[in-house]
Amino acid sequence: MTTDVTQMGRRNGLWREMLDGWVKALTEPSLDAFRAQKGRADPLKTVIGVGLLGLVIGLWAVVAGPASLATRPDAIWVDLLRIIFFTEADFFIISLILFFIAQGFGGEGSLIQQSYLLSLVVAPLGMVVTAFLFVGDKLGLTLAAILNPLSPIGIVSIFIILFSLYGLLLLFFALQAAHEIQSSAVFYTVGAPVVVWGILRVASMFVAQEENLITTEWGFIAGQWEKGTLQELLLGHLWLVAFSVVIAVVLGVVMGVFITWPSRHPRLSHVVVLIPLALFLLLWAASSGLMGEAMGDSVMTTVKGWDRSLMRVEGFFAAPCDIVGAVVSKPVAVGMIGAAFTIILYALFLTGEAASDLTLYILGIILTIPSVALFGAMIGTLGTGPFNAAFALILYSQLPIVRNTYTGIKAVAPEVTEAGRGMGMTEWQLLLKVKLPMAVPVIMTGVRVAIVMLVGITSIAAYIGNDTLGKYIFDGMNRAQPKRYIAGAILVATLALAVDYFLGWLQNVLTPEGLKGRREAA
Amino acid sequence: MIKFENVTKMYPGTSSPAVDNLSFTVPTGEICTIVGPSGCGKTTTMKMVNRLIEPTGGDIYVLDERGETRNVLEMDPILLRRSIGYIIQQIGLFPHRTILENIGTVPQMMGWDEARIRSRAGELVEMMNMPLEFLDRYPHELSGGQRQRIGVARGMAVDPPVMLMDEPFGAIDPINRNTLQNEFLRLQQEIKKTVLFVTHDIDEAIKMGDKICILNVGGLLEQFDSPANILAHPANKFVEDFVGADRALKRLNLVRVDEVMDAHPALLQATQSVEQAVGFMHEQGRKFLYVIDADRTLKGYVRLRDLKGKTGWVDEFVEPAATAIRVGTNLKDALSEMLVVDYANVCVVDAQNRVRGLVNTEMIHEAVVESSAAIGEVGKEQANEREG
Repeated sequence: MTTDVTQMGRRNGLWREMLDGWVKALTEPSLDAFRAQKGRADPLKTVIGVGLLGLVIGLWAVVAGPASLATRPDAIWVDLLRIIFFTEADFFIISLILFFIAQGFGGEGSLIQQSYLLSLVVAPLGMVVTAFLFVGDKLGLTLAAILNPLSPIGIVSIFIILFSLYGLLLLFFALQAAHEIQSSAVFYTVGAPVVVWGILRVASMFVAQEENLITTEWGFIAGQWEKGTLQELLLGHLWLVAFSVVIAVVLGVVMGVFITWPSRHPRLSHVVVLIPLALFLLLWAASSGLMGEAMGDSVMTTVKGWDRSLMRVEGFFAAPCDIVGAVVSKPVAVGMIGAAFTIILYALFLTGEAASDLTLYILGIILTIPSVALFGAMIGTLGTGPFNAAFALILYSQLPIVRNTYTGIKAVAPEVTEAGRGMGMTEWQLLLKVKLPMAVPVIMTGVRVAIVMLVGITSIAAYIGNDTLGKYIFDGMNRAQPKRYIAGAILVATLALAVDYFLGWLQNVLTPEGLKGRREAA
Repeated sequence: MIKFENVTKMYPGTSSPAVDNLSFTVPTGEICTIVGPSGCGKTTTMKMVNRLIEPTGGDIYVLDERGETRNVLEMDPILLRRSIGYIIQQIGLFPHRTILENIGTVPQMMGWDEARIRSRAGELVEMMNMPLEFLDRYPHELSGGQRQRIGVARGMAVDPPVMLMDEPFGAIDPINRNTLQNEFLRLQQEIKKTVLFVTHDIDEAIKMGDKICILNVGGLLEQFDSPANILAHPANKFVEDFVGADRALKRLNLVRVDEVMDAHPALLQATQSVEQAVGFMHEQGRKFLYVIDADRTLKGYVRLRDLKGKTGWVDEFVEPAATAIRVGTNLKDALSEMLVVDYANVCVVDAQNRVRGLVNTEMIHEAVVESSAAIGEVGKEQANEREG
């Protein structure tokens, strides 16, 4: 009797402990919760927990009968046992693999502890997911239905995805608690087998000559590579980006420095500086007939009269007067000169901080122009070649570069510049030896953003006849060939990632050594 | 030498001057502290010397490295600034440059070669009591006090005869500030720079200055004199209020322990026997005495009650002294040190920890009484003058 009672007690205790462990693991997603469970590790509980999961999966297989787990109605018990066995086997094989990888990262836990902690997560969550799969299966689980978050199945699948993600998080905790390794090591422990599995899976696709997105795209891209088209387009893409970026960076940094330069005559108003532009714009508008035919005629007669009278000048002033006359009679030339005067006046009187808001504002507006529209708009002036594309790309890249140069230089602590100035540095020395080096990390961030953005926009330059990777996208859309435009998208995205990675490395190289530690200094 | 002659500064768009017709001369090799309430134009005054701020009127002269008096307004401001040491409160070290490159800023601009810059920087770092390895570190790897020392070293890189310091120790915690102040004063004994030292703290001004220049709001010079004279004879009500009611206490800043200490105190030798020592202590009527060894190095102290009834040598009963005061320390620091460890008697030692004398609270008290008597008499004299 007594032995029975104690055995009953122990069994009850076992079940309660197991259930308690599951609830704790699921409701307290923290490292400490798993650490606390570590002491109760027990192979028996692990086996029973995973076995229960196998049972649930088996029951699902019997009732729903998915193709992968086909059961024979005449041998239900055998099938149930088979599925339970395979569940256990799968679990322990995976646990063993994770255990060895974790050991490689310096993990110190035992296999028993690790398996127990993993089972705490896998068993209950697996059951819940199976239950949801059952419901989903009954409702007809298709990709389109899953991706529609408003359909009933979509909602079910959201739960499955959420539970799986939650489970993944808990697995990280479980592994970390079992081995007391760094979280990055846990990440690699889980990631390594997944990557290996992914590679094997993709390899198997090619071996079995499966027809799916990956193999089709691979075949298409490889074919393009063999033909040499891909290299040509890739080179064209990179060349256009590189050409624009070199000019854009120089222009952007110079402009960024320019608008941080202390202004010399800060009290002069914008309005005064803009007067020449306004005057010339007025003249141009009037002469081109924008303000009425009569006005246009009269202006043109007047300027032609000036031209004629200037041409009559002889002697020393003849040559300059000819030039002035020729310019004055052409309204567009007049407008250009007006703009140039305005820029010079800005430079002379308002440079620097007074101009910064305006500059950044204008660059911001430029960025809002759709790229196709900008490419199209410039066809009249710059044609359809690479210069049109480069012009637009340079314009687009200015905002991030100029703004980051501006902020980077502005962020240099005032005491640093004051110390430099007080020690007798000239403004140029201060800029080149102190401000710019200190702003490098910020400027490079802007350049990085700009370049990655350009890699994307350059594909659109294919629209105006440039040979870039965007050609695949436009051709694919025109010919209704999904594999073509998907390949274009994949290639552009890969290129952008690669370029960003390279620039990250470059940024690290260019950043002065002293700024890499604590940013706050001096 | 730094000489201000009727220097005035008017900022554009203001009606009253920031600095008003200022004239004073800092003699060569002396520290002049400029002190005053905020808005008194003390920083403006200082920055006009290296023309970070251009004076509106008047002239400023400095003695250059060749010993010639030059009007700064006639010099190229860039070259002028390179020839004057400049140290500010926020230090402004270049975070992207190593300590070596930071110190080498001005030498590099003056075209020194690398080896010369390195040896000079090493010299300065050692002068600041820091190891040579610091040269290749970056500012963020140093503590606040170390950075401030580097700031001072950078200001002295080309050995300029004139230095400007704008609250150089203002951003540092009180303990470190005291250390840095003392270090700089000790350094000044050797380097003998002409220093214009801006501070808002009258205690610092008194401690650091050979001369003090007290400015009032609007850049008005209220008094320019030595600290002792300013404490003893405040020129007017403003100065009197500014230096505070505890003028007598502040004078402790000006008196050094060596001036008041007992240079021949009763001491025990570590090699004496306990019986001898007890006899000597009874004879002197002392309950405890400091112990020294043969070359007068301080060993610690013994208490009479620990020795009573014991045999052996004094050496065995010595307890280490919690503190000793360095020769040259001012009375204020000495007193606060004594209060911290709760000692009534403290040994005065030299750099090698050899005992030079003994100071106790009574001696300091006497010094306070004397100085307040002096102030009192002066006050009476002044009152008499006004009446007469």
